[in-house]
Amino acid sequence: MLQVESMPGVRILTPKRRDIDPSVNPPTVAVAGSATVTPFSPVVRPATAASPAQPATETSPAIVVEEKLKDAFARGWAVIVWNDPVNLMDYVVYVFKTVLKMNEQDASRHMWEVHQKGKSLVARETREKAELIVHRLRGFGLNATMESSP
Amino acid sequence: MTCESIDPGHWRLSFSEPEAAFVVHILARLARHYQQDLMLMPPALRAYWEGRITRGEPAPSDKKALKESQEVLAEARAELRVERLALVENWISEFELAEQRDPWQVELTGAERDEFVAMLNDRRLHLAHELGITEEDMERDPGEVTDEARRNSILEIDVLGHLILVTLGPQIYRP
Repeated sequence: MLQVESMPGVRILTPKRRDIDPSVNPPTVAVAGSATVTPFSPVVRPATAASPAQPATETSPAIVVEEKLKDAFARGWAVIVWNDPVNLMDYVVYVFKTVLKMNEQDASRHMWEVHQKGKSLVARETREKAELIVHRLRGFGLNATMESSP
Repeated sequence: MTCESIDPGHWRLSFSEPEAAFVVHILARLARHYQQDLMLMPPALRAYWEGRITRGEPAPSDKKALKESQEVLAEARAELRVERLALVENWISEFELAEQRDPWQVELTGAERDEFVAMLNDRRLHLAHELGITEEDMERDPGEVTDEARRNSILEIDVLGHLILVTLGPQIYRP
């Protein structure tokens, strides 16, 4: 017998079973046997600007700016995640945080967008990076695709 | 089943004997699936493993790029099956060699734990694709589903969902 306490509505993207309000963060859910489970301890940090501790380089500021502009213009591919009947809501949030380095709030917002609108644009990247993201999201079982983005 | 953090980035999963038997049974099913020739799979499962890089008809200017991306994705998906097969076989072997199976304990890195939940999710998605399970099916009380194979699959999808959430519990539940 599984020692897992009933978790109403653990099935994905189905708020009816969860009795929760999409406008707020996901609820706390107790898990039996959690005495040995440590409290929430995020290991994934939200995306932040470059750390000031990064080593200095000899690249001139003009070249850095030019490279950033080039990179920005090259980010022409959108990664889209589509709704499906099976993936769990909390699992989708976890995957967004892990793969896309989203914070909890953004990950939850995108998850709800997938559920309510059928899809969500989760990243805009170069083609190579978009391919990698699609592969990683699909590795977790999410239905992700890419398309060129104006 | 419990999941506890034993070090930063390391986790210990503990299963009671019946839970372990269930998980090992699922791992064995996955091992067979990861070895199966794509061409012999039902169309829905084959599509799942080949992966579609885009939906709808791409713009003519994107067709070449997307064709290349599709090939990259299909190759990566094939490699993923090989990597997951190796992990599954390793865990089954650990279970077979374990002196203690009640509880059966497995220690995983963060990356291995992610693979573990992704593989349990593979099994859920395989069942859903095989039987064409819909959102309406998932919202119904499984007891009301008259078709036995369908009912059993929905129940298995649910149980695996619980295992995934317990495995990720320390990171997805607030105290």
